[in-house]
Amino acid sequence: MDWRWDFTFDVVLPKMWQAAGVTIWATVASFAFALVGGLILMLLKTNRSAWISRPATELIEFIRATPLLVQIFFLFFLLPEIGLTLPPLTTGILAIGIYNSALCAEVYRAGFQAVPKGQWEACTALNMSTYRTFRDVIIPQSLPPIVPALGNYLVAIFKETPLLSFVAVAEIMQVSKLIGAEYYRFTEAITIAGIFFLVMSLIAAFGIRLVENYVKRSILH
Amino acid sequence: MTHPMIQFDKVLKAYGALQVLKDLDFSVDNGEVVSIIGPSGSGKTTVLRVLMTLEGIQGGTMYVNGEPLNKMNVDGQLVDASKAHIRRIRSKIGMVFQSFNLFPHMTALDNCNESPIHTQGKSKAEATEESMRLLEMVGLAEKANHYPSQLSGGQQQRVAIARTLAMHPEILLFDEPTSALDPEMVGEVLEVIRDLAKSGDYTMLLVTHQMGFAREVSDRVCFFDGGKMVEQGKPDDLFGNPQHDRLKQFLSKVLEAG
Amino acid sequence: MKEPGPTNGPGNTKHLRGMSMNRIAIVSALIAFLVGMTFATFSEMRVFLPAILKGAVVTVQVSILSIALFLFMSVISGIGRLSANRPIRWASIFYIEVFRGTSLLVILFWMFFVMPEFGVTLSPMVAGVTAIGLNFGAYGAEVVRGAIAAVPKGQTEATIALNMAPYKRLTRIVLPQAIAIMIPGMSNLTIELIKATALVSAVTLVDITYAAVQQNQLHYRTVEIFFITMLLYYVFAQFVRFGGEALEEHYTRHLSKRV
Repeated sequence: MDWRWDFTFDVVLPKMWQAAGVTIWATVASFAFALVGGLILMLLKTNRSAWISRPATELIEFIRATPLLVQIFFLFFLLPEIGLTLPPLTTGILAIGIYNSALCAEVYRAGFQAVPKGQWEACTALNMSTYRTFRDVIIPQSLPPIVPALGNYLVAIFKETPLLSFVAVAEIMQVSKLIGAEYYRFTEAITIAGIFFLVMSLIAAFGIRLVENYVKRSILH
Repeated sequence: MTHPMIQFDKVLKAYGALQVLKDLDFSVDNGEVVSIIGPSGSGKTTVLRVLMTLEGIQGGTMYVNGEPLNKMNVDGQLVDASKAHIRRIRSKIGMVFQSFNLFPHMTALDNCNESPIHTQGKSKAEATEESMRLLEMVGLAEKANHYPSQLSGGQQQRVAIARTLAMHPEILLFDEPTSALDPEMVGEVLEVIRDLAKSGDYTMLLVTHQMGFAREVSDRVCFFDGGKMVEQGKPDDLFGNPQHDRLKQFLSKVLEAG
Repeated sequence: MKEPGPTNGPGNTKHLRGMSMNRIAIVSALIAFLVGMTFATFSEMRVFLPAILKGAVVTVQVSILSIALFLFMSVISGIGRLSANRPIRWASIFYIEVFRGTSLLVILFWMFFVMPEFGVTLSPMVAGVTAIGLNFGAYGAEVVRGAIAAVPKGQTEATIALNMAPYKRLTRIVLPQAIAIMIPGMSNLTIELIKATALVSAVTLVDITYAAVQQNQLHYRTVEIFFITMLLYYVFAQFVRFGGEALEEHYTRHLSKRV
């Protein structure tokens, strides 16, 4: 094997630098979508009416049980057919966002369920309003399990963004493939892509631990 | 030359800055039954746990029948013991736990057979014969094929005792063997321990909260407090005529609680 | 004398069996629905269904081989992670961190495009199976490690009191109990793994996903084609879930009252 440093610095890194921006933007946007979407799905799923909660539960199950890649392709082909022509990046963010909404919904639900029943009962006994109950009692106690779980999904989303290369979004993976195809040299680009993901994941894991500790310390003393 | 069966020589056990055993000197003769009493945090359970090598010690030496346990003799020098040495000495010690610690995926019989077959290398038939005899002794022969989850707490503890006896220990350690039991099951377990104590076949070290039982079966009772042995003596002397204030306080509190 | 009969609390067993029956019902209904739809719209489906089913065979092949590698790597590195032997422990940590930290697609491309640079040319199938198996093995290692750590400490203490050798301790006492604990996690990972096999289409393997895209580009039946594709993955996932529950019931039948 030969590794060419001049090729790495002159060709690979400048192109990858731009692509890294796309990857990070896709990650952040999908995560934001999933945070909100997950909350909505969770509220639908825990709705008192079975007419709402049943379909929501099944939808979440179905999204979770099918591959994200298939969902990306599905949206990619479906949206133009129903007259919605979006850039591939937007479609991709939508797909990753929906998929992770289903996962985040479970995180929220588990977090709220982890609060002991006695806490709800105490709030009722103290005649607290629903808003106060959530704001002062339930949410503060459910954050410690929720925050690290959401952090893990942020990292998971980051590692899912290479799937966007299947629909030709110019993120890290697609760009390294293109470099490989153009110059007939795959080693440098793909290895750098790998190191990029590894380093970012390790940094993120470290950051999650910091936030986790902070949440634990500041909410539960 | 006769050795004490168990001897602690300036044993130091600490968790960080917290000293649980402070230069403990302590010995038990062959065939002697000794109870250890004391408030929680006094280090009484730790005595058993370090002797069973469940936890390491930071200083001192423990001897079993004259042989060092945590050290070994190399060219006349005491050096830290090898794993093989510890395993050889440890084979003389058996322990009964507060929470039984039966293996949940094995029947009562398989629990008893585990050590004879897999550490002593006995044949299955030979081990089973002996295990059945031991289960019979603790009154559970008919439960031999039951799993721990199908047994009551008292029955589980009796199986645990049979399992310990199956490894032919010379020393038996009992770590609060009835503390995790419902009151109505305490008697059946104490009965088994009483028989073992009377047999005189074992050197026994018993940590317990059952003062009446300790007084009845022990040759000697030791009162621990703050990582030290504060007072020891014959049961009737220690309970009937305690010397130290700490022991008096402890006994009055225990008797008050009933 | 009571015979050693059914061991669980009866309520517990019934509950589990009830769930499994429910699952079987759902899966059978789905398969019936799938077949029914095939006949109902026979003329439409006839065109693309055979190609997709051919893809399903590839997906199943890749899945089974990857699962084998995944289980092997999980157990080896999960135990290695807890080993007292420092080189073994560090090698396990290195493997786990590297293969969890990178993205599966990156690993896959690396296997397929970069390995030839080292003189190792892998067929698409081998590259796919290796990448998926190694990637999920790193996640599985954490499940195995967690399960071993979740076996109550008293169990290890009992083995010390019985003077058992460390290796017997692991194989006879700790692992049999850890298996019961790790099954739900491993079954979830297996489902994720099957979903992840969709990525092998990137190295020219014609699996369900690749077949679906091809067929869609030929016939423009997006909704039907992708609905069937997703349904197939859903059915696979339900089979694994059902198998996992059955295994869990089998392994926990004596552990209902943990002591």
